[in-house]
Amino acid sequence: MSEATGRTLWAALQLLDRQLRDRHDILCGNVDDVELTYDDDEKVLYATAILSGPGRLARRMGRRRVGDWLVAFFASTTVDGHDPSRIPFRVVRNFGPVIDLAVDADDLASFATERWVRDHVISHIPGNDHAAE
Amino acid sequence: MKRLLAVFLGVLTAIGGFVDIGDLVANAATGARFDMNLAWAVVVGVVGIVVYAEMCGRVAALSGRAVFDLVRERLGPRMAMANLAASFFINLLTLTAEIAGVAIALSLAASVNYLLLIPLAAVLVWLVIWRMPFETMERVFGLLGLSLLVFAVAVWRFGPDWSTLFHDSATPTVPTTESPWTYAYYAIALFGAAMTPYEVFFFSSGAVEERWTEKDLRINRINVLIGFPLGGALSLAIMALSHLVLAPRHIDVGLLSQVTLPVASVVGRLGLAAVLIGIFAATFGAALETSLSAGYIIGQYFGWPWGKYVRARQAARFHLVVLIVIVVGALFGMTRVDPVKVTEYSIVLAAAALPLTYFPILVLANDRDYVGEHCNGRAMNFVAMVYLVILVLVSLATIPLMIITRAGA
Repeated sequence: MSEATGRTLWAALQLLDRQLRDRHDILCGNVDDVELTYDDDEKVLYATAILSGPGRLARRMGRRRVGDWLVAFFASTTVDGHDPSRIPFRVVRNFGPVIDLAVDADDLASFATERWVRDHVISHIPGNDHAAE
Repeated sequence: MKRLLAVFLGVLTAIGGFVDIGDLVANAATGARFDMNLAWAVVVGVVGIVVYAEMCGRVAALSGRAVFDLVRERLGPRMAMANLAASFFINLLTLTAEIAGVAIALSLAASVNYLLLIPLAAVLVWLVIWRMPFETMERVFGLLGLSLLVFAVAVWRFGPDWSTLFHDSATPTVPTTESPWTYAYYAIALFGAAMTPYEVFFFSSGAVEERWTEKDLRINRINVLIGFPLGGALSLAIMALSHLVLAPRHIDVGLLSQVTLPVASVVGRLGLAAVLIGIFAATFGAALETSLSAGYIIGQYFGWPWGKYVRARQAARFHLVVLIVIVVGALFGMTRVDPVKVTEYSIVLAAAALPLTYFPILVLANDRDYVGEHCNGRAMNFVAMVYLVILVLVSLATIPLMIITRAGA
């Protein structure tokens, strides 16, 4: 990270595999990978986005084809075809043991299966809306 | 009063962890076979679980992160996945045995074949998880589990020669009738039972469920210092009673019903009732612990919303996992597998996977990002390091010993 931020983040230690939380404090996936972009003019690598979702995790664990297929699949489910597993750093509100985002969990690839299970399984069981406290 | 009730997370964790179906039988069996010569293994295990549970409770209170979060964060997705697969499998074995244990406890009271009661036990476990608030759950089953203290009452009523009992426990020897390998195998089983990973999965996730913060660090300490030693004391009481009553008559223990015999013979009918309630609560508590842990560890690995502190529909995948493991556990239990054998294997296999869970806890209990100023002190790190070495040695020795002794036969 640039010195202008006043704090160095060690991507492997303080970014990878940390918990993500959306703007309503809902847990919404982990940092499965980080997108790095090479700047030709400045000759440096910039971390440009957090990558999170089933396809991204599969890619990081060496399952390239399955991963690419999953990433493409989740992108095809969005209205404008954008990649919901790519989270740009500008929506990050806070770094720490938890990384707070300024987006809705529902817009992220990591939340797609959660929605499906909620709508097709759990919402059919009586008492699913009952807070346990 | 609220202070008093706040210790039940530790009490339930410990009772479910220390005196579930496998441990009840393992403690009674070791008491009958080895007298008090293995008591030290329980004590070593209690100290270890106290040290590590305190750390993971502290990390959970200060960062809101439970154990499997830490495992993935420190080991990376691959190693953490290997740990997840192993822990999940062991957890499923334990859950199978506990559901069968609940059914056996019910069948001892109702005289119906326990296989018929397994579906009922499974439905009850799921209903409690689905509807009962977390804190009510830990209080009800923690409190009922305390009736196992009747084992201690029975030891006291039996009136043993206390100085010989302590002397025997403090100067362990390998009995002439047993080989050193089986002795070591049972020592590992007792140690593994005390430090089973699902205890820290459940304890740390429970701390998040109860929304512990920095203010609760004292509660955390009290929980581990009361809960786990209590669990250990119960284990020792079961072992001692079996040593006093069963060993002189050369009775070997292989069934849950045999565990209740010495209490019935010493304390009588009321004692038997207390034991049955206690066994029901302990196995039920362990079933809750293991089925919730299955959901906790998968949810935390993938970063899903998890836990009972949110509405069920807000942690949909978590509840689906819990539901599936309960169904699979019940079906497996109905194949007439011997629940005692199943837990004995799961305890020993758990011992092989221990370092992968405990190492990340130790690292992050020293990370200021997570715990701020409440890092481990030097003494704590020293003890924890000693235990990490023990854990690694135990995990290396487990599988060979299992083969050499043919699982303690």
